[in-house]
Amino acid sequence: MILLCGIPSESPLAMVGRALDALGADYRVLNQRKVAALDIAWQIDGAGVEGTLRLEQETFRLADIEAVYFRLMDDRILPELEGEPEGSPGRRHARGFHDALFHWLEIAPGRIVNRAEPQGSNGSKPYQAQLILQYGLRVPETLITNDPHTVLAFQREHGTLIYKSMSGVRSIVHALGQDDLARLDLIRWCPVQFQALVPGIDMRVHVVDREVHATEIISDVLDYRYARRAGGSSELRAAELPADTADKCVALARGLGLPFAGIDLKITPDGEVFCFEVNPCPAFSFYEANTGQPIAASLARYLAGA
Amino acid sequence: MVLILCEEADVAAAWAAGRLRQRGLTTDIVTGADLAVAGRLEHRIGRSGATFELELTGGRRLCSQTVKGLLNRLTFVPAACLCRIGGPDRDYAIQEIYALYLSWLHSLPGPLLNPPAPQGLCGNWRHPSSWIALAVQAGLPAMPYRQSSKDDPAPLWQGLAAPAPATVFVVGERIVAHPAVPRGFDEACRKLARAAGVKLLGIDFAPGGDGRWRFISASVMPDLMRGGEQVADALAQAFLG
Repeated sequence: MILLCGIPSESPLAMVGRALDALGADYRVLNQRKVAALDIAWQIDGAGVEGTLRLEQETFRLADIEAVYFRLMDDRILPELEGEPEGSPGRRHARGFHDALFHWLEIAPGRIVNRAEPQGSNGSKPYQAQLILQYGLRVPETLITNDPHTVLAFQREHGTLIYKSMSGVRSIVHALGQDDLARLDLIRWCPVQFQALVPGIDMRVHVVDREVHATEIISDVLDYRYARRAGGSSELRAAELPADTADKCVALARGLGLPFAGIDLKITPDGEVFCFEVNPCPAFSFYEANTGQPIAASLARYLAGA
Repeated sequence: MVLILCEEADVAAAWAAGRLRQRGLTTDIVTGADLAVAGRLEHRIGRSGATFELELTGGRRLCSQTVKGLLNRLTFVPAACLCRIGGPDRDYAIQEIYALYLSWLHSLPGPLLNPPAPQGLCGNWRHPSSWIALAVQAGLPAMPYRQSSKDDPAPLWQGLAAPAPATVFVVGERIVAHPAVPRGFDEACRKLARAAGVKLLGIDFAPGGDGRWRFISASVMPDLMRGGEQVADALAQAFLG
């Protein structure tokens, strides 16, 4: 059996559900919003991990769950818990359920998309960049510093620079402009990450096990994910990657322990490939809805072991 | 130079530094307080790999070229650094600093005991259930573990109330055994450290009701002094290669 966990109406989860329907696969949805009617109990002993999961009226052996796709929201802000005081029985149950589910997912055998541990590399972009280099993909020249003079020297060396967060928080790309240079001294308070601007075409590559879906993004703004906010636009279309680049993307996702990954590339005018980051929990629905690429179907096949 | 990173009150780190010096290694202890007041920092990543440089007070300097190994005793951004971060962006700034530490520690050359992980700067600070599952996979008999919706998650993270009855140390490929723990566990202990992605691991055992020794927990930042001179020998060997 396959388990989908999260909010059933959320686009990626809903699309995978429809793809599993098309396959005729046996699956259930763990609806977080019905947390009061969910229970889990498990144990580890000499024989491995065993236990049960109750989804409203049905109870399953955990050993019968062969694959899981989960996109859980923070249980503390579930609408059903709004107005519940801290420490109420409802909140305690929700926390206890999600914690027990989360830790079972980390050790459960089977196809788990994606376990939390390998998702961690995306919490530090420069750390992840060092891992990316090991798989033969280039990364932008990067400087992290708290010294304004070093930034200016880096700018003289590389021309136009961008800056963005190092962590996964507020990860929006900005060009380093005159206004920023005027306040550059502020970096003495907290080091900042700068990168040489890489010109070219943005490419999002969704890797599902060994299947690759590349999407080309034509945009008139620096960070196409926020095109509308920046007053610009983006156009997405299906693309083909050179075989060796596709192979590197598959190896990278596998090496990071991610059966499903969204890899951000840039292809320069002279054909060089730069990798910016690997998203371990890609909201692929945006790309599929704009291009018709069958990403959900790939994911459904992986979950079904097909 | 072997860099020893630790909080100011880490007596095990100071002990290890002394023992490594006795064995002929050059060490440099850098504490959280040193890092909190450090000056210019430069960390680069690109075509030619990754480099790191940090100016400390008193003319000291850390850089990729001089570090030949790391005894890493930081689990998170040091307490002295956290004290200096305030304002409405505090949580964001802490995430940024953690991301930076993870990257520069990863970039250091030489044996890293232990390399940083996203879930802990001196190695993945695993949930007890995760350690037990890994230990069982490695072939160690382990105390049973249970968890359900009814459990309060917070106490599950708490450490042991007292030192474990016995700790076996894995340092590189060497085992520093405890006399009570069967030597038949040695290979499984090595396997556990490899599976955890670390070169330094303290593995705690306790006897069950039947008197048989079982795994109870593991630490990527063990109390090195409990292992005595044998652990100091093994550390020196790990850094000397």
